[in-house]
Amino acid sequence: MNSDRRRDAVLLAPGLGWLVLFFAVPLVMIFIVSLGSRDQYGGVVLDGLSARNYGRALEPDFLPTVLNSFKYALATTILSIAIAYPMAYYIARYGGRRKALLLVLVMLPFWTSWVIRTYAWMILLRDNGVVNSVLGTVGIGPFQMLNTDIAVIFGMTYGFLPFTILPLYVAIDRLDPALVHAARDLYASSRAAFIHVTLPLTMPGIVAAAILTFIPTMGDYVTPDLLGGAQTTTVAKVIQTLFMSSKDWPFGAALGFLMIVITIVGTVAGLRFLRREVIG
Amino acid sequence: MSELHRSTPPRRPVTRRTVLRGMAGLGAVAATGGLVAACGGSTASAAPSIGPAPTLGPDTPTPSDAASGTPSAEPTPPPQPEGELYVYNWADYIGEDTIATFEDTYGIKVTYDFFDNMDTMLAKVGTGNSGYDVTFPASINVGPMLARNLLLPLDLAQLPNLVNLGAAWQDPAYDPGNKHSVPYMWWTTGVAYDTQKVAGTQTSWDLLWNPQWSGKMAMLDDYRECFSAALFRLGYDINTTDDAQLDAALAMLQEQKPLLRTYTTDDIGVLSTGDVWVMHAWGADVYQVTPDRPSVSYYLPSEGAVRGSDTMVLLNGAKHPVAAHLFINHMLDAQVAAANTNLIGYMGPNKAAEQYIDPAILADPTVNPSPETVATLQEILDLGADEVKYTDRWTKLRAGA
Repeated sequence: MNSDRRRDAVLLAPGLGWLVLFFAVPLVMIFIVSLGSRDQYGGVVLDGLSARNYGRALEPDFLPTVLNSFKYALATTILSIAIAYPMAYYIARYGGRRKALLLVLVMLPFWTSWVIRTYAWMILLRDNGVVNSVLGTVGIGPFQMLNTDIAVIFGMTYGFLPFTILPLYVAIDRLDPALVHAARDLYASSRAAFIHVTLPLTMPGIVAAAILTFIPTMGDYVTPDLLGGAQTTTVAKVIQTLFMSSKDWPFGAALGFLMIVITIVGTVAGLRFLRREVIG
Repeated sequence: MSELHRSTPPRRPVTRRTVLRGMAGLGAVAATGGLVAACGGSTASAAPSIGPAPTLGPDTPTPSDAASGTPSAEPTPPPQPEGELYVYNWADYIGEDTIATFEDTYGIKVTYDFFDNMDTMLAKVGTGNSGYDVTFPASINVGPMLARNLLLPLDLAQLPNLVNLGAAWQDPAYDPGNKHSVPYMWWTTGVAYDTQKVAGTQTSWDLLWNPQWSGKMAMLDDYRECFSAALFRLGYDINTTDDAQLDAALAMLQEQKPLLRTYTTDDIGVLSTGDVWVMHAWGADVYQVTPDRPSVSYYLPSEGAVRGSDTMVLLNGAKHPVAAHLFINHMLDAQVAAANTNLIGYMGPNKAAEQYIDPAILADPTVNPSPETVATLQEILDLGADEVKYTDRWTKLRAGA
């Protein structure tokens, strides 16, 4: 079995190396910086390490920001799954020969820069933008859509939809159609077959899609910055303010580390639930 | 398909747990080692720093004399310019042909990059080896940049056009003798508003706190400017370090936040598109808005307003110092300076350039307030260690509800 172990080690090495070099090492560095303090000019001072910044992060001043991030991520995830499930279902079940093409179309927007697509949303949603102009011709007054919570949620849903569609597609595609036929044979209506057969069996896909959407949206910076307004502050924006304007790198590092820890804990808990309750 | 599956499980499974454990150990060792090396490094420019150049003691090397040319008794021949130059500046902040004329006159290729925020520029330049030779910090930043050893002294012998500046700018308080910087443009900060949407003549900062315009207002994404607006309205000194006064200013800004649409430095953008009707803005930017939206007007509030200036500096670690001096000298040339002003609408400090500037700009009080008005304006000063009082409150403001 030595050759097996060696083969395992060789196959794992690049992935593991990448993970250590670009995730584990920076994570530890962030943690160490978060224990430091800032000097007069915004540099990092590492003598006198303490957990003071974590105390600051838990102050009530920052609660609205954390709740905001959570709110957007949750709303985006729910909306994404609601939109992605029918799409993935259609592609998996009725795509036929065009399945590959449809999947490429789902991924196509990623060929354009994320920032440019968000700017496109700005042009659409401005007060004098495309949507308001069209509504104006019918006489419906201009609505403020840009710089609102709705704009941020829509923008993030649009951006992260492919992340949601693909795991759902995989889960639905794996589902053996014979099981649904069997349910129908046993006098289930299509609705009952869906609720009692398809949905539970694709639940792992739904959980995976939810996790894959929730995590990036919690930390998204570009969309809340460009589409959001003064009140749509997220943790990512506060961290940017801390690193750039306030030049308080240790505090920013503490917030960042906290976010990572919360995300990891949440993900592990979600996966545990997935293993135990859903797969069995 | 079954032949792809093992019939027996591997003898010593590499499980997720073992991988994670090994990774954590490796990672911790590598990170602490790397971090200690980075922070204990001797020079600001060489170390792969984890933040703005960590402030260090006497270890940092002084800039070489050969680069700037030591002033000496015998006349030294003018140094040969390098073939390239890297400049880092705000967008929309230079004349249309300025770079092209410079490239043609001296045969030096210029790479001209943009930043949209002073903090971004300071963060990039703060690493000590950004690759840029010349950049345009605000006057308030010159002192801190000098203290962090980010600037090279200027060789005034290579800048004969310095005489073009009026006497007022030859020896500014933030940089005596122009040792490290040359003034570029000066400006005022006040309030801009769309006269078609907002009726009546406005004279006060109160307009930005008026709930009638909720959702249609914006403030500059600059913490000293925002605090100055609040401090003016409260009647305090905008360079105060008194905690009680700053808390009052913070409370006032927090009261304003629900009325705002956004915090941004793109005052030209949001005013031109009409998303914002009342904006905390830089006066000369309004000059660039009026072609798109002529109804926008600007005023300096009666409670007080800010004036400031931007400068050109030579960065430590610049690889093309001679070309950089030529560029700065070029920018001081009377006609070039006038061309810059004529496009962007900002007033320069260049007295000799005034004869070439568009008379409409000279006559426009938004861009060129009279010397009497200018005398009433206040400058934002760098507060050294007390800046933290402002930045901590700014973080609270931005993070809060």
